[in-house]
Parts: sequence; structure tokens; C-alpha cells
Amino acid sequence: MTVVERGIYRIELTRSMCKACGLCVAWCPQQVLAADEQAYPVVVRAEACVNCKACERHCPDLAIEVFAPEG
Amino acid sequence: MKLQNGFILREYLRPQVLPTTWCPGCGLGIVMSSIVQAVHHRGLAKRDVAMVSGIGCTGRMSGYVDFNTLHTTHGRAPAFATGLKLARPDLNVLVVMGDGDSMSIGGNHLVHAMRRNIGLTAIVVNNAVYGLTGGQASPTTPVGGRTTTSRPGSFERPMNLEALARASGASFFARATVNHTAALVKLIERALAVPGFSMVEIVSNCHVLYGRMNDLGDAAQMMQGMEPTTRRVNPVLLRRASMPQRLGAPEAPVDTSDTPFIDDPRIQRGVIFERAPRDDYAQRYHAMVAEHTALP
Repeated sequence: MTVVERGIYRIELTRSMCKACGLCVAWCPQQVLAADEQAYPVVVRAEACVNCKACERHCPDLAIEVFAPEG
Repeated sequence: MKLQNGFILREYLRPQVLPTTWCPGCGLGIVMSSIVQAVHHRGLAKRDVAMVSGIGCTGRMSGYVDFNTLHTTHGRAPAFATGLKLARPDLNVLVVMGDGDSMSIGGNHLVHAMRRNIGLTAIVVNNAVYGLTGGQASPTTPVGGRTTTSRPGSFERPMNLEALARASGASFFARATVNHTAALVKLIERALAVPGFSMVEIVSNCHVLYGRMNDLGDAAQMMQGMEPTTRRVNPVLLRRASMPQRLGAPEAPVDTSDTPFIDDPRIQRGVIFERAPRDDYAQRYHAMVAEHTALP
């Protein structure tokens, strides 16, 4: 059985590119992201990220990136 | 493997004109990054790719990508691309059009580019509405779809791009949605490899004009709505449907190979048809020119 280590993925949001459309928040299966009062996404549960890249794939403005650790 | 968004931004887009002018949540951004990823996966250099676009929301895409780009007149993108491909047969020419651009004003040019089977890759982004001009009914607005020019619901039959491509002689036709992004990249990749005319129809969302008028919700709800309204073309299921007797069904099997699941209202996505490769139009043209202009 493989043990999945959580909380190792880094999520970067580029505020200058983001249009607050809410797609990344809607697509995150682990509720890692949430909308702030201006509807921009913020990372609230970084430890729950499973690196599925659903947010990256569905971001129309290329404003979100998920990085896996090196190696 | 998904490319990092920052890499796409740095390497393939023009950062001085970004962010895009498209509405928040528009599927066109997903289409643009999918095209870039497909070009990257095919291993094509930026100088070997040309993007030709017409007018409309989709037409703005040629301003954002860092390929050789050509922003042309309304509907005439296939005509400009035909000339470009004849002059430079070594280029991979992508023609990016919206549904109104390609099927309404540019319908004639699209049909004749498909008839010639010239080696273009057409990307038709279909959001069932004219987005840039304020949400008028387009040739693909479904019956009953409310738009600014069809308030009680459109009563015209929508155009069937798949049947048009089949009849006109295109080599490859695939359909994808902006919801299924991984399949979208793969299908554009396959279309780029086709030597003849290839087309990918992409079902996109216009939640600002079409979705609001038809109570389809915001961008995320419209994209999630593409899951139950489309279905994947599955060759195994097609085979099973044509041989129901092997699954214990009653006698008199129905031949469904020609018109599979005709009663299924869901839109098919995947590779709809692919023809055997034929002679390249540009090559044949240059051979003909060389033959007839050679000095005796």
C-alpha cells in the first residue's frame, strides 16, 4: 500500500492575471481553494492538495500553478 | 503531461498584451492554452506554426499567441490560410474561428477549404452565440435558445458542422468541450498530425450572453453542464450495439454502425471521422506549376 504524503504541493496564484471567474474554486475536488470577499481564489487547505491540476487545466487566464517538489 | 501555466505564459504567449480581453471564465482561454500545449507536445517550433484568425472573440486569439499570426477579415480566415499554406507549405497553419465567423459569414470559404482538402487545422470554437457583437443568434444556436435577436427562443434549425465537414471532404473531424481539457489537447494534437484538412469543433461557454439568457448559470455551472449533455465516442460500445445478439438480446439485430445511437440526444465528443490520407493539395499544386512552367 502506497502512503500518500499530503501537503507537499505548492500552489501559486498570480493576482495580476486572475479575473476572479471562480472556475478553480469550483473544480477543486479537495476544497483547497476558496473565494475571498472580492471573489479572488485563496489557498485555505494547502495540505489537502493532491496535485490533480484541475485548477491549472481549467484556468482560462493561466493564473494558477501547482508545483510538485523536485525529485 | 500538463505544462506549467507559467511556462506557457513565458514561452508561447505575448505577455505585454495579457491578460486577455475575454470575459472572466470564458472557455477561450482554455482553448488557447490547449492549442499551445498541443503544439508543444507535437514538438513544433514557434516559427513553424502560423495562426490565422478572423473576427470575433475567437479572432482575438491570434494577438495573444507568439506564433506567426495573421488577424484577417470576418469569415475569410480559411481563404487567407489557403494562400499562406500554398506559399509556405512547410508551415503548420492553424485557423481559429468562432461559430458565427466560420459557418455564417465565412461558410463559403470554410466549405471550399474543406473541398480542396488543403492541409489546414481548423479550430472552430462553438458557443452558439455571437459573443463580441452582443449575443445575437448564430447558425448553431439550438432551437429554443434565447438570444438578443431571438427573444422567444430561436426557431431555426441549427447547422450540423459534422455533416458539413463529412460532405465537403475534410480529412479529420473531432469534437471536444472546454470541460474535458485533457481530451481537448489530445484531439488538437491528432488534428495537427493530419496531412489534409482537419477540424476540431470545441463546445465552449458564453455564460455572459447565452448562459444568462437561458438560465444556464455561471461559467462553472455551464462547463459542468457539458458533462451530462455530451458523451464520448466509444468504439467498444459501438461494436456492442451492432452485435446485441451476443449479449442475449432478442433476435433481429439493428445495424447501428452507420448512424450510431441516433436516438441519443447527447452530443458526441472524440474523433467523429477520419479519412485515409490523400495527396497534399499544396504539393500537387507546386508540382503542377513546375510542370507547366518548365522551359523546353
